[in-house]
Amino acid sequence: MTMAAAELLKELSKDDRLNRIAISDTGFIFDPQTGQSFTLNRTGLVTLSILKRGSSIDETAEQLSHQYGITEETAVNSVEAFLLQLGRYL
Amino acid sequence: MLPQNHFQKEKNWRNWNVAVTGMNASPESPGPGFAVARSIREHRHFDGRIIGLGYDVLDAGLYSKTICNGGYLIPYPSAGRDALLERIYQVHALEGLDAIIPCLDAELQNFIGIQSELKQLGIKMLIPTREQFTLRAKDHLAEFCKSIGVDAPETKTITNPLFFDECEAQGWQYPLMVKGIFYDATVARNAYEAKSIFAKLVQSWGYPVLVQKIIPGDEYDLAAIGDGHCRMLGAVMMRKRGLTDKGKAWAGVTVVDEAIGKVAEKIIRGLAWRGPLEVEVMKGYDGKIYLIEINPRFPAWIYLSHAVGRNLPAALLQTLANEPELDLSPPKPGTFFIRHAQELIVELAEFESLFVNGGISTPIQEEPLEVSLQEHDKFKAAS
Amino acid sequence: MDSSADFTDIGTWEPPFIQPHKMGALNKFGQRTVRDNITREVFGVPVSDLVRRYGSPVFVVGEKHLRQNIRRIKTAFQQRYNLAVHGWSYKTNYISAICRILHQEGSLAEVVSKFEYEKARFLGVPGDQIIFNGPNKPKDILRRAIEDGALNQADHMDELKMLEAVAEELDKTVKIGIRINFDTGFTEPWSRFGFNLESGQVNEAINFISRSNHLRLSSLHSHIGTFVLEPRAYAEQVRIMCELMRKLEGVENVAIDTIDVGGGIPSRNALQTIYLPPEQAVPDINEYADAICEALLAGSRYRKEIGKDLPRLIFESGRAVIDDAEVLITSVVGTKRLPDGRRAAILDAGTNLLFTAYWYNHQVKMTRNAAGSEEETVLYGPLCMNIDVVRHSISLPPLAAGDQLVISPVGAYNNTQWLQFIEYRPNVVLAQESGGCSVIRQAEDLGVMMAQDQIPAHLASFDVSGKVRPLNRSGNHPVLNRKLV
Repeated sequence: MTMAAAELLKELSKDDRLNRIAISDTGFIFDPQTGQSFTLNRTGLVTLSILKRGSSIDETAEQLSHQYGITEETAVNSVEAFLLQLGRYL
Repeated sequence: MLPQNHFQKEKNWRNWNVAVTGMNASPESPGPGFAVARSIREHRHFDGRIIGLGYDVLDAGLYSKTICNGGYLIPYPSAGRDALLERIYQVHALEGLDAIIPCLDAELQNFIGIQSELKQLGIKMLIPTREQFTLRAKDHLAEFCKSIGVDAPETKTITNPLFFDECEAQGWQYPLMVKGIFYDATVARNAYEAKSIFAKLVQSWGYPVLVQKIIPGDEYDLAAIGDGHCRMLGAVMMRKRGLTDKGKAWAGVTVVDEAIGKVAEKIIRGLAWRGPLEVEVMKGYDGKIYLIEINPRFPAWIYLSHAVGRNLPAALLQTLANEPELDLSPPKPGTFFIRHAQELIVELAEFESLFVNGGISTPIQEEPLEVSLQEHDKFKAAS
Repeated sequence: MDSSADFTDIGTWEPPFIQPHKMGALNKFGQRTVRDNITREVFGVPVSDLVRRYGSPVFVVGEKHLRQNIRRIKTAFQQRYNLAVHGWSYKTNYISAICRILHQEGSLAEVVSKFEYEKARFLGVPGDQIIFNGPNKPKDILRRAIEDGALNQADHMDELKMLEAVAEELDKTVKIGIRINFDTGFTEPWSRFGFNLESGQVNEAINFISRSNHLRLSSLHSHIGTFVLEPRAYAEQVRIMCELMRKLEGVENVAIDTIDVGGGIPSRNALQTIYLPPEQAVPDINEYADAICEALLAGSRYRKEIGKDLPRLIFESGRAVIDDAEVLITSVVGTKRLPDGRRAAILDAGTNLLFTAYWYNHQVKMTRNAAGSEEETVLYGPLCMNIDVVRHSISLPPLAAGDQLVISPVGAYNNTQWLQFIEYRPNVVLAQESGGCSVIRQAEDLGVMMAQDQIPAHLASFDVSGKVRPLNRSGNHPVLNRKLV
């Protein structure tokens, strides 16, 4: 699981893929490569924004845990699950 | 949020803010709203705003900057009148509406249900009463035709598809027309086809489904307005010249046929119809005129009325404004329309705005809608 | 488009989530509910009080509402036709207190099985106030019904023969009814019940009765369907029945004094296969009363000319009387995101209690203001069955475990068709007209569930050798505290 998520993040960071995704603070996002649009929930929006800055899974989780007052374990689990979703769609 | 001059400006229909529904415009079966809006926009005296109301982010009319000044999503008819009223309050708070022209059958009952509230806000509509609406409904049509002495093909209401296996023994020979209670009509050539059409119709429009015998002949349509006092205003008649596989006219030509006009007059008198309507008839090879359907709204080909100098959507606004004279030219046969598809260009930000906020001329934020709603409650209480 | 990562509003924590947009039916206002989709009390009693006192889930019946319903419906019929009588359809909801309320309001009992017949008698309904319908009436109960003076309405020829035989045994002349079916042109004929008119089965039945020494035909009964949205169907039904009544004038052993039009009048519930919302799709009760009574007056006018009384009209509305007089309060036990992005909530009540959820989209109201935007949500029940879905798609704000929801209308058929599958059935509470609440059907417990079970002696222990080793020291059944068989 951890490996899969880490690899996905690596894959998504390749060729600036993540960075080219257009994010609006309404949660509306658009993938210029596939033409698909998506909705993110508020936490998804925050998480994706952190990931886009090139943060690792652990760094992202740490920041989320700090911002929302949740345990780092919960945060890591959530970020990994979120990456698996991103991997499905992006 | 109201435009500054909304209440100060001397209002007449020429500078009204008019909302029009039915802005869906997929090429195979466009809604009438886009054509209604276009007719009004191109009327030489109209200088107001047109607001599109739609049910889907892909309703093309909502994005058309040359015709509409704004576009908003409204709740599906199945969400009920209260949900619609609340949404119209919001749109009104942002746009200050003077009139609404509903263009879809399925939504009309909701608009009938909120008419008195809208009237209090000064929003006008020329629509039928619930009773008028029901009398012309597909499952009441045969009875109504009988009462006014108009021929109609035999029609049966069914809820059980097994009918299609046994119908030939009961005198219902294929091919038969199978129709949804609100929309869609498809020819079935055998029981197998009929059952598959039945299933699709139930999926979209629920029960019941109608079966109609097919009259061999030519199809004609008539669009007009009933003034609510048994008078027919400005009929425009059209012979269908090209049909899509959904049976919609994609080409047609204006005609003048007194007999068809008489049928329409009988209908409008019989119902004391108030509002726009489309009368679909079949001129049978037996020489008789059969009434196929009465649609409680303008048809999608209504732009043709503008082309022959009888702009019915504008005439509707003039009627609502109690103009003493409608500027309608004499009927003019021989003008064709040929429907063609064209691509409308939409920017990502516009799509996003409609998707996220449900509106296009609104700022891309969630709050204003709520704020305007509160403002509107005050406004409502005051009026 | 803003790609900065700093948001002023980061929201509260929930797992991050991405949902692709599917084209077609994209409209965030599409399914939206009105802003005041909240109810903090039902029938004047706070939801929180009801749950605290009676647990969750709990059914709540409003006595005042129920009485108002039946009075309004009866008035609608009786002011148009003063010989109209209501028969309470037991199968719609036969909780004893509900039947009693309707009997207090003057309704007859309309029963369709041995159990229902025995229940009506148990509740003190005199035989001559009972209409006995249904396709399965075993001989012993038919005999009792004849002795009690109930109106038996025969469904098929074998029943007629049995009626004749019992009447002969008792040496009695018995007034009976027959159920007939025919095509009104508006609804699919329910041709499996009663004698068919078009194919001559009715004639056959009449011939049998007119040759009988004991049977007298006094009532014609038909029932055209359920949730019939077309008042014209009833007008046609009554017209056909009156035509038959007229044809039967002067026939030996036939003297029709009752026209029983059955039920089927809808409530304001949202049938899944009807596109428009119920307030538009469902005609007012007065339209039905108009259609039925006008047709009956027209069809029986000839009787005045021949010097005979007009027939009594029996209508057997169940759903229209009770449906909106009862709600179900249920609690959220958990929430999740489905893989396709929809929100989902698991409730402590499912189709075990809300059997009608298979056909209706019940109204669901929140009992508190929930922050957050509305989204398409699926409501699941507690059963381990994929089909246990209370609502397939409803627009709701985010739910949380412990939230209470009020589901309505649920009065019709749920308290009779409910299942015992894996769960206890909960309390049913009456919010009394005079104030206060009382339990009218107690929640089940293990004792109720075990009461009918019997364990043969060789299964009395876990020991396969067959040696009887009692499960507890006293030798009694551990739950029921009595000896095993």
